[in-house]
Amino acid sequence: MLSKVKSFGLKGIEGFPIDVETDVSNGLPKFDIVGLADTAIKEAKERVRTAIKNSGFEYPTRKITINLAPADIKKEGALYDLAIAISILATDEALAISSHKNYVMIGELSFDGEIKRVKGVLPLLISARKLGYKKFIVPVENATEAGFISGIEVYPISTLEECVRFLKGEITINKVEVCEFEKVISASEGGLNFSNVKGQARAKRALEIAAAGGHNLLMIGPPGSGKSMLAKCFPSILPDLTFEEALEVTKIHSIAGELDLKTGIVTKRPFRSPHHTASTVSLTGGGSNSKPGEISLAHNGVLFLDELPEYTRHSIETLRQPLEDGIITVARANATVVYPATFNLIASMNPCPCGNFGSKDRECRCTPNQIHKYLAKLSGPIMDRIDIHVEVDSVSFDDLKSQKEEESSEKIKERVDKAREIQLARFKNSKNFCNAKMSVPQTKKFCALDKTGEDILRSAFEKLKLSARAHDRLLRVARTIADLEGEDNILPQHIAEAIGYRSLDRKYWG
Amino acid sequence: MREDEKFLVLLSQFEITNKKIENILAALGDDISIKNFFALESAKKLVGEELYANMQTCASATRLEMYLTNLKNAGITLLTRFSDGYPYKLEVLPDAPYFLFCKGNIDLLKETAISIVGSRTPSNYGRIMTDRFSEGLAKAGVVVVSGLAYGVDSIAHRKALEVGGKTIAVLGSGMNNIYPAEHTSLAKEIAEKGLLISEYCPSMKATRYTFPQRNRIIAGLSDGVLITEAGLKSGTVHTKDFALDYGKDVFALPGNVTSEKSELPNGLIKSGQGQAVTEADDILKFIGFERKEEKKTEKAVKLSFEEQEIVNLLSKGDKDMEFLSKNSTLNINILNSYLTTLEIRGIIRRLPGGVYGLV
Repeated sequence: MLSKVKSFGLKGIEGFPIDVETDVSNGLPKFDIVGLADTAIKEAKERVRTAIKNSGFEYPTRKITINLAPADIKKEGALYDLAIAISILATDEALAISSHKNYVMIGELSFDGEIKRVKGVLPLLISARKLGYKKFIVPVENATEAGFISGIEVYPISTLEECVRFLKGEITINKVEVCEFEKVISASEGGLNFSNVKGQARAKRALEIAAAGGHNLLMIGPPGSGKSMLAKCFPSILPDLTFEEALEVTKIHSIAGELDLKTGIVTKRPFRSPHHTASTVSLTGGGSNSKPGEISLAHNGVLFLDELPEYTRHSIETLRQPLEDGIITVARANATVVYPATFNLIASMNPCPCGNFGSKDRECRCTPNQIHKYLAKLSGPIMDRIDIHVEVDSVSFDDLKSQKEEESSEKIKERVDKAREIQLARFKNSKNFCNAKMSVPQTKKFCALDKTGEDILRSAFEKLKLSARAHDRLLRVARTIADLEGEDNILPQHIAEAIGYRSLDRKYWG
Repeated sequence: MREDEKFLVLLSQFEITNKKIENILAALGDDISIKNFFALESAKKLVGEELYANMQTCASATRLEMYLTNLKNAGITLLTRFSDGYPYKLEVLPDAPYFLFCKGNIDLLKETAISIVGSRTPSNYGRIMTDRFSEGLAKAGVVVVSGLAYGVDSIAHRKALEVGGKTIAVLGSGMNNIYPAEHTSLAKEIAEKGLLISEYCPSMKATRYTFPQRNRIIAGLSDGVLITEAGLKSGTVHTKDFALDYGKDVFALPGNVTSEKSELPNGLIKSGQGQAVTEADDILKFIGFERKEEKKTEKAVKLSFEEQEIVNLLSKGDKDMEFLSKNSTLNINILNSYLTTLEIRGIIRRLPGGVYGLV
């Protein structure tokens, strides 16, 4: 007896169809799975047998062979359990299941026949829809996630028995209703708000510019000056996720198993802050069971690297490609996977190993050589990709206690949104959509300075001894500042302000 | 070239301690020459077998000629204690260096010089004041002498170069091993526009013993030593001791009594060993130096209303960004841009930690 059921596997964030083929023949009772299955799938034997038995069906005491086709692609995870179980049951003529060929099935089985949630449902469904598949059976827990994809029929199932009865037409199950993204997003709560941060006007302004132009930013300040707090508030002033962006983010989070099942979709820009002891692979993604890393989980959101020089040199250097291309290519012996990784980098660091260099009330105990070594950990190519440096100093007790109303994130966000609109119109016909990603010709075209502006820039390089690599970054930041004010041209005050955000280029360091 | 000078040129090729040279010269008595040295019975014992053999191979006239040509090609002038150009200021010292490897304008050795020395990690106050003194002295035409180290030393050199003044850097290592290596480009600039000197042969590496020795040359070369900021355990203490031994004037910048970094200068003032100074003119008057050019009267700068407000806020001392944004009526973006333009115009200055102050 032969039967076939469709399921889907994942490679990177793309799904591919898998045929689960079952043959039951006479012979000594045996259960074999072929088709490059990993341990989790091999162990499906036990889960499937027990689940079938405990759901009140008869398990064939014959020779069972399962093939997962295509046979040359490695398959991983427990998501084929349901398809395997149904394909075994479908060989039972007495049971007379017929409609199983119309569905794509995913789900993990537990011993009592319950169908458990699996990772990566959203990316699977999106790829399957692209390939023309229409009907799906998914675990009931994954239903919300599946509800954000229109144009397909998704049936949520909670047990194996229910699934069989549904396939036989004995019961009807309502398909998942398409959920509206706008509703979810408006219901989502905001995170930390800038109104809770006292003082730090300059740092806030710098973050506003970074949000408006998509610039990467580095905060330099002594321990306890509120760098992390500021960074955590940063997502609250970023523009809302669009539906397409949200789907992309959800795909990645779904694969990593980090999705909130209640909402089923990521509604807020992700904020990831991996610890500085994080391994390179945990940042980039990969491993034998390839999984997206922190930088991909930060896709369309914020990657916050606290204490930047403390990360290993190697992990920092791996950020170079993603910062440039917005993707990370993870090559392993048996597969090459591409994960999206377009993020806004916010980093923080102390000015020196002890943290007090330049502090107004504490003494720095570092030798110049120590400071030099500390700063040297940040290589030129990485510093080249960070547009804004801003110094943050600790806030005095009086400031903390002051009753002065601080500007809320919502107000700042309004300005950011406006600036982003201007940029969207400007870059209508090109690939990038923010000032930070302008190419060299675009910088030339959109960042022209008038005579006074040129003079300021020239004297800044001469008098303040800025390094030459700062030139184009300055122009792009100035462009964003002009956008924030709704100016068509970069005015002298814009370039002057931008120059103020290049502290690390200055020679007084060390 | 005289015979005694030739002998020192021969010795200058080796890493040999001053003590040894002293012994050799004592053994040679009045007749110092290469020939007499090798004729000396105790010669081998004085310098050791290895060095003795090396000296023999290098002693020929052609080898000496080659050595001097090589130095010349590297831009280095060698002054020995017996050379004609050897500076008088050093000659009178009891422990005058036997060799001076010089790169740059050796005429500076004869001019009036003040050394500025101090901590390798000065505070913001120390930075500003070192800057001011160096500028004042260099503009007046005094040679600024220092040791090319981190902190006060390099600040003094850089400022002197920046205002087009003269500066001498005394190294604690050979010319080819600039220490710290980060100051290699600074050393190059000093060699081009000022003078770089060292008593060690170019290949010699710095050790912990060479720096105190270097300090005696700094003290010896200058007519006065200014200490802007230094702790009691700083290497600057050596420079001060040498200066007092040699009978040079010691100037001290008064500092905060609670600051560790001002302990040495404050102590000098208290004990009467050091003359308290607050500006470059104090030093110039004390040593009776006549300035080359008249101090120009400050050009009145025109400030806009907003700029005036910032300058007023800073008039009572250095302030950080937090203070400025809280106490000014300007929006943060306007404030930021005016701070940059004021800095470019040279009216205010930015210090580490996002602190601003008037120049």
